Amino acid sequence: MKKEIDQAIVMENVVKEFKVLNRHEGLRGSIRDLFSRDYRTVTAVDNISISIPGGQIVGYLGPNGAGKSTTIKMMTGVLEPTSGNLIVNGCVPYKNRTKNCENIGVVFGQRSQLWWSLPLIESFRLLKDIYLIPDRQYDEMMKLYSDLVDLEPLLHKTVRQMSLGQRTLSDILAAFLHDPKIVFLDEPTIGLDVSMKAKIRDLIKELNRMKQTTVILTTHDMGDVDALCERIVIIDHGRMIYDNDIDHLKSYFGSYRILKVRLPGDIWEETVIDESKTDVMSVISDYQKKGKLLDIKLEEISTEEVIKKIYENETNERKKISGIDKSRDNTGIAV
Amino acid sequence: MNARKYLALTRAGIIQELQFRMGTFITVLGNLIYLTLVYFLWRSIYASSPTPVVNGMTFNDTIIYLVLATALFNFLEMYLVWNISRKIQSGEIVMDLLKPMSYRKLMFFTFFGDNITTFFLTFLPTFIVVFILTKGAIPVGTNLIWFVISVGGALLVNYFIDFFVSTISLYTESTWGINIVKESIVLLFSGATIPLVFFPEKLRVVVKCLPFRCIYDTPLNILLQKDGYTPGSGMWTMLGLQLVWCVALCALTGIFWNFSVRRITVNGG
Amino acid sequence: MNEAAIANAKRGFSFYARIYRKILVQDLKSKMSYRADFIISTFGMIMTNTVGFMSFYILFKNFPSINGWNYHEMLFLYGFSLIALTPLQCLFDNNWSLRYSVESGDFIKYCFRPINIFFYFISEVFDVKGLGQLVFGVAVLSYAWSSLAIPVTVGTLCLLVLLLITASLFMIAIMNFAAATCFWMLRSGYVMILMFRFKDYARYPASIFDGLFRIIFTFVIPIAFIAYYPGLVILHPDNIPLLSKLSPVIGVLFFWLSYKFWMLGATRYDGTGS
Repeated sequence: MKKEIDQAIVMENVVKEFKVLNRHEGLRGSIRDLFSRDYRTVTAVDNISISIPGGQIVGYLGPNGAGKSTTIKMMTGVLEPTSGNLIVNGCVPYKNRTKNCENIGVVFGQRSQLWWSLPLIESFRLLKDIYLIPDRQYDEMMKLYSDLVDLEPLLHKTVRQMSLGQRTLSDILAAFLHDPKIVFLDEPTIGLDVSMKAKIRDLIKELNRMKQTTVILTTHDMGDVDALCERIVIIDHGRMIYDNDIDHLKSYFGSYRILKVRLPGDIWEETVIDESKTDVMSVISDYQKKGKLLDIKLEEISTEEVIKKIYENETNERKKISGIDKSRDNTGIAV
Repeated sequence: MNARKYLALTRAGIIQELQFRMGTFITVLGNLIYLTLVYFLWRSIYASSPTPVVNGMTFNDTIIYLVLATALFNFLEMYLVWNISRKIQSGEIVMDLLKPMSYRKLMFFTFFGDNITTFFLTFLPTFIVVFILTKGAIPVGTNLIWFVISVGGALLVNYFIDFFVSTISLYTESTWGINIVKESIVLLFSGATIPLVFFPEKLRVVVKCLPFRCIYDTPLNILLQKDGYTPGSGMWTMLGLQLVWCVALCALTGIFWNFSVRRITVNGG
Repeated sequence: MNEAAIANAKRGFSFYARIYRKILVQDLKSKMSYRADFIISTFGMIMTNTVGFMSFYILFKNFPSINGWNYHEMLFLYGFSLIALTPLQCLFDNNWSLRYSVESGDFIKYCFRPINIFFYFISEVFDVKGLGQLVFGVAVLSYAWSSLAIPVTVGTLCLLVLLLITASLFMIAIMNFAAATCFWMLRSGYVMILMFRFKDYARYPASIFDGLFRIIFTFVIPIAFIAYYPGLVILHPDNIPLLSKLSPVIGVLFFWLSYKFWMLGATRYDGTGS
């Protein structure tokens, strides 16, 4: 199937607010809450605009509670935005939930969506019926799957009997089965071992390449980001603070290096240095004044460090911020 | 002190219970509706009866007994079987087993907070309303003290039975099955749905040898000072029986639980 | 929308019937592989029914009639209500897990498929143990039927089936309402347990209630429709009240309302556990 709509997802000024009850502390507070009508509004997603073209793999990042899953829930039609426009595959997801679901696939890291007590092959057959997948397309997909992964041993196991890795793998296969235009992956590699992670990443990458499926990936694992994402969107406190490709992200903090020094007693100490402001040599000589240095390493800053810095800066500059384009050079270097 | 940690658990239980405010309102409302059902049924039952006193119980006696039994049910029923079996199926139980106290105590004190809250939120108001409405049909005296003590005994017996049944969930996922059996047996044989005096003689002999009667029959009859439950006529035997069942069930559940947990952990179920 | 209309046409009654049949067959197969569970559930069913019958028997040992209804008439209502309970227990049992699914956030998985959420959720579980109840109910009803010497004709049997379906709809509707309360409040388990206990009172004649409560138990919590009103059609064919005649229509209406209520809750669900 060809993905003819060029913009898979378009969000314009999307806001989502929740009403929560103000809870009071302690025993007395709990008794008071029995009758309380004291609500406050929490803005989970605050004026986000974004458009994602078909076929892209987008890393959707942010610290815990930043509003990632709220956004995903709006895109999948589970939640209605408080205000703003949201178009997925050319329709409004909340209003056409069923239709929207035909064109998306969803994987929630630790919650299997397959039938718990059925063998995988039966789950696939049910999905074939539910999504009205034509026989030929289904057979082709199964063929593709068995080329990509070692499918045979999984097919006759029930989800209940699978390891977490096998379960995640099965869930991803199930999400791509009906050849959706968009697949949402929420922390797909959480809790998996290194080799399984690599396997899952290869699978996602391959399916995206062959089927031109748009992939929205939320994760805390920068390995996922490095391996998969062409583009990164970072949100925090419901606001978008970064939206660009991964190279730009690195070059943005390109003047940063990590200096590792080995001190007597075999202790490694790490320092993040902004070369545009501080000279590496002067830091080293500072160390030397304090004592003997056994070894020195200078490394490029990793994606993980960059993201960490963005989160930190965001927290420091909560009041001023309106976008990542603002200069951040005045921020001191955290050691 | 050791008691501190149990106290903390109980307090947390109370606070948690109060968080579910809608649930509390619904419980009270639901009880009222349920009690009207009970009232209408027994009213028409007594209306069809040729004599106003059946098996030593008047209509008023029966209604007071059943109303308080329902209130006691809310106070005693903590859905332990559901909770524990959920934890077992989700694997969450492993976290609890790692806590530095026996699982039985942990669960007991967690739910004890709920018990206390529901005692004040549902049992006590019901009791007061019934007391006022029946204008002295409930005797007031030392029986209140013995009643509270025997409710304590009922709580323990009920807890141990629940815990025993919960242990079975280590072997099967059919929670519904075991829970429904437990509930229907406990409710009938404890005298919660029909007072034991209505039971046919032969059946009553059997039921009196079972632990279930300690849960509803004993405390309620002590409260109402029925024959056989007064200080002069066998109340001590009844309280003693409760104590014996507490000790016996405590030992039994302990053995069963430890045996089962060991078996399960060895087999990696 | 044109495409939406096509999608709806594609997923009509036969689509759901096909999927339902497949899920049931698969689920049954997997149930059979857990034999211990199956045996325990069946045993549980037999025990509950035995205990339920015992309380019924004890009551009638003490009181020969209730509100002008004799032992065999009451037994008729008792058997009738047990049979009417079977579809609920076999096909709608997953309602009991709804609250856990909602509170833990797992319910969200039902929102991602292009099929009806209620159908998807309910179809997941088929409970065989309800069949034990059916056998028990049929036995009790047959015994009462023959003791009351009600003539057996094709007409009455067809009528009986229709009335049983009606009663089932009410039963299912009540539990749908009860289960769906979990979308609005935490700890809603008690609502279901309470409603499920109410059904034990459905087997007594609704004539025991008066005034306001007669109305409540007929139209708000419609337990009077689970055995009493439908039962009258067969027990007292010369004098059938209007409500008995209307009961199939009211049953469909109640079921529809409960479905709407359930779906309203489901669309309100935000995936965080209220």
